[in-house]
Amino acid sequence: MSIYGRALIEVMVAGFAAGVIGVHIVLRRLQFFTVALAHATFPGVVVAYWLGILPLLGALGFGWLVVGLLVVLTRLKQVDGSSLVGVLLAGSFGLGVLLQGLQPRPALDLTSILTGHVVATSTADVATSIVVAVLVLAVLAALHKELVFGAFDPLAAEAQGYSRWLDLLLLLAVEAVIITTVPAMGTILSVALMIVPAITARLWTDRLGLTFLIAGLLGAGSGLLGLTMSDRFHLAAGGAIALTTGAMFVLSWLLAPFGLRRQMQPHGIQLGSTTS
Amino acid sequence: MLSEPFMQRALLEVLILAVVSGCVGTLVLVRRHAFVADALTHTMFPGVAIAFFAGQSLFVGALVAAVVSTVLLTLLSSVRRVDDDSVLALLVATFFAAGVVVVSRRASFTSDLTSLLFGHLLTVDRSTIVQSALVTVVVVGVLVLIGKELVFRSFDPEAFRALGYRLLLLDAMTDALVALVIVAAARAIGTALVVALLVTPAATARLVSDRIPIIGLVSVGLIAACGVAGLSLSYVASVDHDVRVEPGAAITVILTLVFGVLATTTLLTRHRRRIAA
Repeated sequence: MSIYGRALIEVMVAGFAAGVIGVHIVLRRLQFFTVALAHATFPGVVVAYWLGILPLLGALGFGWLVVGLLVVLTRLKQVDGSSLVGVLLAGSFGLGVLLQGLQPRPALDLTSILTGHVVATSTADVATSIVVAVLVLAVLAALHKELVFGAFDPLAAEAQGYSRWLDLLLLLAVEAVIITTVPAMGTILSVALMIVPAITARLWTDRLGLTFLIAGLLGAGSGLLGLTMSDRFHLAAGGAIALTTGAMFVLSWLLAPFGLRRQMQPHGIQLGSTTS
Repeated sequence: MLSEPFMQRALLEVLILAVVSGCVGTLVLVRRHAFVADALTHTMFPGVAIAFFAGQSLFVGALVAAVVSTVLLTLLSSVRRVDDDSVLALLVATFFAAGVVVVSRRASFTSDLTSLLFGHLLTVDRSTIVQSALVTVVVVGVLVLIGKELVFRSFDPEAFRALGYRLLLLDAMTDALVALVIVAAARAIGTALVVALLVTPAATARLVSDRIPIIGLVSVGLIAACGVAGLSLSYVASVDHDVRVEPGAAITVILTLVFGVLATTTLLTRHRRRIAA
């Protein structure tokens, strides 16, 4: 398979999985946490490179360390959640830069970690992405009802006995999708595929099931379009893909039924009107 | 170590940044605006990058980017169908991407990206210090003038609005103040590591006190102390041991470690007290 073909499969598979899980991220307001996790893969990749193990393993390990630290730190009642996430984000990013500077071996390319290196995707990367995407999508489909319940009414879900483990499972899935998008998109730009398709999908439909489908397709579509443009105009692939997601959002906001048109209507719900 | 003129300049710059980011960091903490601060660091990046390539001063580029970011943030938060955090995530991803695309058109991609993201504390010149000092004076001046309103708005937005204040204007001011800190620090610390100065010290100080002036003072002190420690570590490592330690990264990691130690102590004391009770 050509380099371009491999890269194309990689971004479309990762884009679809990221789009779908993004809807859960937005429902649970985990956006900042996702941004932090995406940054936190950076020191993991550097350490993995040092130890000579798979970069994905390092990223996963460090991501999980951050999840664990956050769980412990939320017991500090004085400091709010977003500050804690901020501390972890800044700390892990600083650690990444520090370790990157310290490394004795020929320097690992910082840019490719931060912004991705989609044309260097190996067949193994593509295979990993497909396996992870299938696994994550299967888990999300199997636990769909429980996850949505937990997102809309966490207290009721907890009272019924699930919730806690499900939350952790969702974080595991988010981390898994992040590490599959990182080789192609880089640590920071993976956020684009995880969140923008999800919020764009919400401008097109009111129905949750459809939101997942549209988000997945938009994610895959952004991957396809962004990669094509980066190939044609010689731009950084991760950047081009992220900008494509942004352009799709702006277009949707102008055109979609729940975008600008809805906002121009008088404030709030129209009482007494049956049309929506 | 301090006989070197470049170290004196770096030290002065760190102390100036300590004042401005300690004060604004306290505001970020009170408003729970950590994500906004992070988003602003990303939205400023393309402005800084374009200025860099157009041969304009980074300071001017960052200032323009600060204005654009503030306006965008305020406008976008009025899109009703999309919540604030999603807007911030959208800005983080697309603006950073725009910056990367701008930088990637250049041959010296990697070294440029690194210097824009992580700064060059050891090569700050006199004009950078003057610019940072000017921004600090402006920011601290604004805080002295409207600090009371900002705190009031944070704790009781409803009462604040009822008294006839304009919420939108004040929120735009808050974003602008955060953006100005990034303007001041862009050259020395880089856009990616400023978050560490804005969020971590105030969170650490919050573990020590619940009074806003004290949180502010402790934050300033923490950044100054960790800044000096990070600079010295970087100097000693590279001069005496020939190991490259980025001063910005060293400062960030030391700040995080201090937070970690204090957080652990706080959690342990509470745990012990609970067992004793």
